[in-house]
Amino acid sequence: MRSLSCGVWKGHFLALWLGQPLLILLLMAGPARAWRLWGEPSDKKIRPVQELADARKSAEVVAALTPDFMQTLRGTDLRQAYVLKGDGLSALGRVDEALGVYQLGVRLFPKNVDLLTRQGDVLHSTGLDEQARAFYLRALIYEPRHFGAHLGLAEIDRRLGFFDRSASHYEIALETLEKRADVWRSYAETLLAQRDWTTAELAIARAISLDGQNADGHVLTAFARRAQGDLPGALAALDEAQARGAGVGARRARALWLVEAGKPAEALAQADAVLKEVPGDGAALWARARALISLGRDSDARRVLANLADPARFDLAARAARGLGSALAAPGDPR
Amino acid sequence: MNRPAAAALLSALLSAPAAAAPDLSPDALLRDHLWREVRQAPASRRPKVGLVLSAGSLRAVAHVGVIHALEDAGFPVDMVAGTSMGAVIGAMYASGLPPKRLRDFATSINVGSGNNLTAASLISLLLFDKLLSSENTELLLRKHIGGARFDQTLKPFACVAMDVYTGEKVIFRDGDVATAVRASMNLPGIFRPIEYRHRFLVDGGVVDYIPVDAAKLLGAEWTIASVTETDYTTSRPENVLESLLQVIDIRGSYLSREQRKQADFIIEPPVGDIGMFEDHRILEAIDKGAVMAAARLEAAKESLILASIPKLRAGWGPKEAKPE
Repeated sequence: MRSLSCGVWKGHFLALWLGQPLLILLLMAGPARAWRLWGEPSDKKIRPVQELADARKSAEVVAALTPDFMQTLRGTDLRQAYVLKGDGLSALGRVDEALGVYQLGVRLFPKNVDLLTRQGDVLHSTGLDEQARAFYLRALIYEPRHFGAHLGLAEIDRRLGFFDRSASHYEIALETLEKRADVWRSYAETLLAQRDWTTAELAIARAISLDGQNADGHVLTAFARRAQGDLPGALAALDEAQARGAGVGARRARALWLVEAGKPAEALAQADAVLKEVPGDGAALWARARALISLGRDSDARRVLANLADPARFDLAARAARGLGSALAAPGDPR
Repeated sequence: MNRPAAAALLSALLSAPAAAAPDLSPDALLRDHLWREVRQAPASRRPKVGLVLSAGSLRAVAHVGVIHALEDAGFPVDMVAGTSMGAVIGAMYASGLPPKRLRDFATSINVGSGNNLTAASLISLLLFDKLLSSENTELLLRKHIGGARFDQTLKPFACVAMDVYTGEKVIFRDGDVATAVRASMNLPGIFRPIEYRHRFLVDGGVVDYIPVDAAKLLGAEWTIASVTETDYTTSRPENVLESLLQVIDIRGSYLSREQRKQADFIIEPPVGDIGMFEDHRILEAIDKGAVMAAARLEAAKESLILASIPKLRAGWGPKEAKPE
């Protein structure tokens, strides 16, 4: 027992004897990195600004983070200041200035994933997807499953038509953003574009369970059901969306889908309702003309189409109306 | 989690990009509605759609990306026509290979694929005018489509070669697919002409770079062409081979001006700067094809919808109405 205790003491002594110089060497060799041993320096000066940001007082955040004040910050405080100032400027719609702040932040903290992804977000929002992609990919080097980078890449890939890659990025982002109904909806839209109806419906159901009062989830359900041939189900989902305050778009879709369902009288009524809200609405006028044709009222349909085919209009409805008008007027037209 | 960290995370969550809502604009909804009608109409109630795949050597692997995007969107393709590398990809697609396998094939090819290019054969070519053999093209193709004949492909298929003795364009629509495709991408000046059906055949890209006419011969009433021409203004030929290829490309682009007008819709991936020996850029070419096709998809749908309306109209009479 005594010899064991003696051995332990010897071991401690040896560790101290070797450890102290090592620690001193480490501190001397890398003072800039030494903070890693006990955390980044912070004077907590950023706290009041952070509270303003939490209260979403963007203008006050931007006003508080003057260059003079920022010069007094260090470590995490300074890094967070760049994030908050950029976010504040973005929220105020001053995207160019936000980009400048993030750029400066990234130069000072080139491995900071929050700043990298935010710079990516700003570039992505202005349509500079290739540049944005580079920043997201850089962020993933330091944090391979960073939700913001994956979300940004998911949106870029979806925009470019790489739906399978986009879905994979959404799946990783959703590991963190599992409570974000809008991300579940975007993921569902990607799956719908891939024609993966089953998984899309599951994703939409998740979005609705998180935010049942959002009309968009029900609109997506309608699209998913219609894509699988369930038109009555799709129309019912549109009704659900309208009950939750969906805009004129849902009513416009309903008018067209009632035509598809072979219910021209209802389609006519729905199209008229949309036209009261949006006079000259191309899709509603088209639905009206198609309903009239289905009801055998070709001459009425021709009048609607003539109105729609106004040479000053170049939308799809007008171009289609010109084609259909010619087909209706063609000799041998089965009227 | 301490307070600043929690606040930072909250801030990050809130500032993540906003997701897009479903597009319920008049044009988007009407396009979707009419596209559904086109997709669900029997073949007799919409134009027959021909996919035309241009020549373009290695650049033409961009067609794989285009096909992938069209398939993802459920774009109807009733028949396929191709020239040169377009014929290789077209033959595989028409034989029923899914886009993923086309991609696997495209990423596996290199400069030496489809020929007997070796240091010795290249020296023979340059010193003794001994042309290379394109027999490996045929073997490579047979690995994927076997000994399929034109009447056995899932979609009707045609490919184009040129009779080097008469200068005639030869459109293949029957017989062995692999042999015809080999003839279609038998680059003159590098490969020996193939003697087939009493003709001496070389690459069809010389006379029919964008074979819209071949698709129409198959019965296509509306054609969508994927065009992968070279941007010869950016290249500076530095040897005999590159000069020869440059001349073929320039000649091809003159010819394709007319063919472009014949196509109803064109998708042109920006791959003009990819040279025929740059096999390290194959993935880039495929992606560029997919991106360009995705960007042009809505316009392509609109074009086909507008072309389909006269035929679709025949089914829109009162009899379609269901009891309410």
